[in-house]
Amino acid sequence: MDPMYTHISQQYNAELEDIRSKVLQMGGLVEQQIDQALQALVKGDVALGEAVIMDDTKVNSMEVAIDEECSQIIARRQPAASDLRLVVAVIKTITDLERIGDEAEKIARMAVRLAGDERPKNNYAEIHSLGMHVRTMVHNALDAFARVDIEAAFNVAREDRKVDEQYEAVIRQLITVMMEDPRTITRVLNVIWAARALERIGDHASNLCEYIVFLVKGKDVRHTSLEQVEKEILGRSSGG
Amino acid sequence: MLEVPKASLSARTPHTGPETTRLKAEVRQLNFYYSGGVHALKDINLTLAEHQVTALIGPSGCGKSTFLRCFNRMHDLYPNNKYVGEIVMHPDNTNILGPKVDPIEVRMRISMVFQKPNPFPKSIYENVAYGLRVRGMRRRSQLDDKVEQALRGAALWEEVKDRLNDLAFNLSGGQQQRLCIARALATDPEILLFDEPTSALDPIATASIEELIHELKEKVTILIVTHNMQQAARVSDYTAFMHLGELVEFGDTDQIFTNPRQKRTEDYITGRYG
Amino acid sequence: MSDANINEIRRLITRHKRWDKLFALIGLLAMLVGVATLAVLFIDLLIDGAPRISWDFFTSFPSRHPGSAGILSAFVGTCLVMLVTALTAVPLGVAAAVYLEEYAPRNWVTDLIEINVTNLAGVPSIVYGLLALGLFVYALGFGQSILSAGLTLALLILPMVIVATRESIRSVPGAIREAAYAVGATKWQTVSDHVLPYSTGGILTGVIIGLARAIGETAPVITIGALTFIAFLPPAPIKAEAPFVSADWLFAPFTVMPIQMFNWLSRPEEAFQINAAAAGVILIVMTLAMNAFAIWLRYRFRKRIKW
Repeated sequence: MDPMYTHISQQYNAELEDIRSKVLQMGGLVEQQIDQALQALVKGDVALGEAVIMDDTKVNSMEVAIDEECSQIIARRQPAASDLRLVVAVIKTITDLERIGDEAEKIARMAVRLAGDERPKNNYAEIHSLGMHVRTMVHNALDAFARVDIEAAFNVAREDRKVDEQYEAVIRQLITVMMEDPRTITRVLNVIWAARALERIGDHASNLCEYIVFLVKGKDVRHTSLEQVEKEILGRSSGG
Repeated sequence: MLEVPKASLSARTPHTGPETTRLKAEVRQLNFYYSGGVHALKDINLTLAEHQVTALIGPSGCGKSTFLRCFNRMHDLYPNNKYVGEIVMHPDNTNILGPKVDPIEVRMRISMVFQKPNPFPKSIYENVAYGLRVRGMRRRSQLDDKVEQALRGAALWEEVKDRLNDLAFNLSGGQQQRLCIARALATDPEILLFDEPTSALDPIATASIEELIHELKEKVTILIVTHNMQQAARVSDYTAFMHLGELVEFGDTDQIFTNPRQKRTEDYITGRYG
Repeated sequence: MSDANINEIRRLITRHKRWDKLFALIGLLAMLVGVATLAVLFIDLLIDGAPRISWDFFTSFPSRHPGSAGILSAFVGTCLVMLVTALTAVPLGVAAAVYLEEYAPRNWVTDLIEINVTNLAGVPSIVYGLLALGLFVYALGFGQSILSAGLTLALLILPMVIVATRESIRSVPGAIREAAYAVGATKWQTVSDHVLPYSTGGILTGVIIGLARAIGETAPVITIGALTFIAFLPPAPIKAEAPFVSADWLFAPFTVMPIQMFNWLSRPEEAFQINAAAAGVILIVMTLAMNAFAIWLRYRFRKRIKW
């Protein structure tokens, strides 16, 4: 289904196109935030961390702006069917993107705190790996939104399981470190918060995929299991 | 083959019983030809659920008014029109398009409200009472009661109860339309047909008529033609989309307006073509 | 908009308005010609005849002495003939019009009938007279009577009544008819409860205008033998003895105003010319009065109708 079929009203067309592109812009900004926050953490770059913290206001104001535009579209155009689903999906998507931005800001805060501490031997490799995994998820989710591709969306949602597993592994690792050397507890706790933030980002990315399914199929699949989604939406059954 | 719609379980149609909806009428393979052979309706199949509002939407010339007028055999008033197919009323299973069925009998069961309010140039009372007089009701007290009942049903009683003998033309447009609704209601019809009832009215009058339709459906089954999609979305339980004389899609209003199955329906509803 | 443009537009408008004014003037003059001619003729008649009009004039029978001649028999004759005409033309005309408008199927037969109805209005009135002579006076045996005259004139104005009725019926909007049918009315109920009542204004207007024409028709009445010197009135319809009503008046010999005038005009005496003028004045006043009545009726009936 290609939603970019022209309406009789060019103006209306332009308005819908505008919120779509603004969402992708916001997504790009958020991706960048994640990237830079991770960098700041792994490299101990305070300046970068602080830049990320400041840029969170940009993310927030984008959310407000897009929300406003969506309200106006609803008031003026009374969108129906796919247009309505697009607007609703956008409203939900920007909420999750803003939360992702917040989580990235938290990671940056941790990065600033950890910058002064002694660096661990593995240079935060496990966080870096988790972070890259999550960032790829977000990237692919935004991609799926741009292409309105539910297969891709479904794959991203499936990744969240792996992210969760990876997160569990990281936590176990970090707990072991804390148990071995109680002097590291304060530092490691900060790392744990960062890891938690990354895990949350993964959940939000997974939410983005649910909205894409809603956009395309008109079915609300929040709180539906992956297997059920696979069966009903994609029309197939398989092993996870 | 179009599905018969299941009853909607949304808040809009509270149910007192199980999932089954009672049908008021079934349209089977309806085709209609205007004089001159114009094939105006092509193989229409749909059902009217009892005590529900069904809306007909579609671009100009799609046949929705033609379809509506089949229900009360208005086409019989003009020569050389031909019906092929059936419209079966329940529970008596009569095909109202049958050649042996008297159109007047059909019109006694199915009433119509027209696009432009068309009250008779008589008093308000006489307008409402006419349908009753045609059915032979003569006793003044009986007529009084039924007229009051009908005017109350049309939410007009309070405004006109002191001037029932005033000319109907002295009412405002919205009031005239409600008078026409009262006139249609007075005879306790089984189905009430609305042909774009608010297209000649201002937004406030429109809103009051929509509210009225919502109340009326408890007593009658309603079929409404409208070119205002938002009105169809607000007012109806089921919606049928017609295009070029065909029934393209029929289903729950909520489903049609959030997730239509047919592309043509989607295009029309989102304004991708008029 | 530049000044030059505005000036150009103004010049254009001035030019066009000249034509406007010119036509208004021409129209006014054309109207005045008609009205003025009529007024002049009427005033001339009035000057000649008004002094003669008196109660005596109304209540005397014609006589060989112009001074004592009056229009009683002619006046009564005219009224009775008009009565018969109206009572015949209205039901026939209205029924025919209703049938043609509402009931007749739309095929070539109906079209033929419609064309011929309007054509009838153009048949010379003397031809009606000949028809009446053969049909009413001789074949049906009504003789040279009020009945024959009334029926003849009824035929004469029938096309007018039919056309006026049809126009009136047509002006009832289809929406009203559909409303009536939608409520379950039969064709006859729709016609009798709605179409006819709402057309009454137009029908009455048509009838009265037709009568106003018939009142002055001389040729057919002469043809069927209205006598020119009637010094008696037709027998009264109400009698003192059983069966209390009689139709003899229908078959009595009679005269009408135009014929009386014609008779007086053909006399050499000047005084009779004055009598004729007086009768003419009365005739015109009757006609104008009928037309005024038609207009008033139309107004009264139109008040309820808003289309």
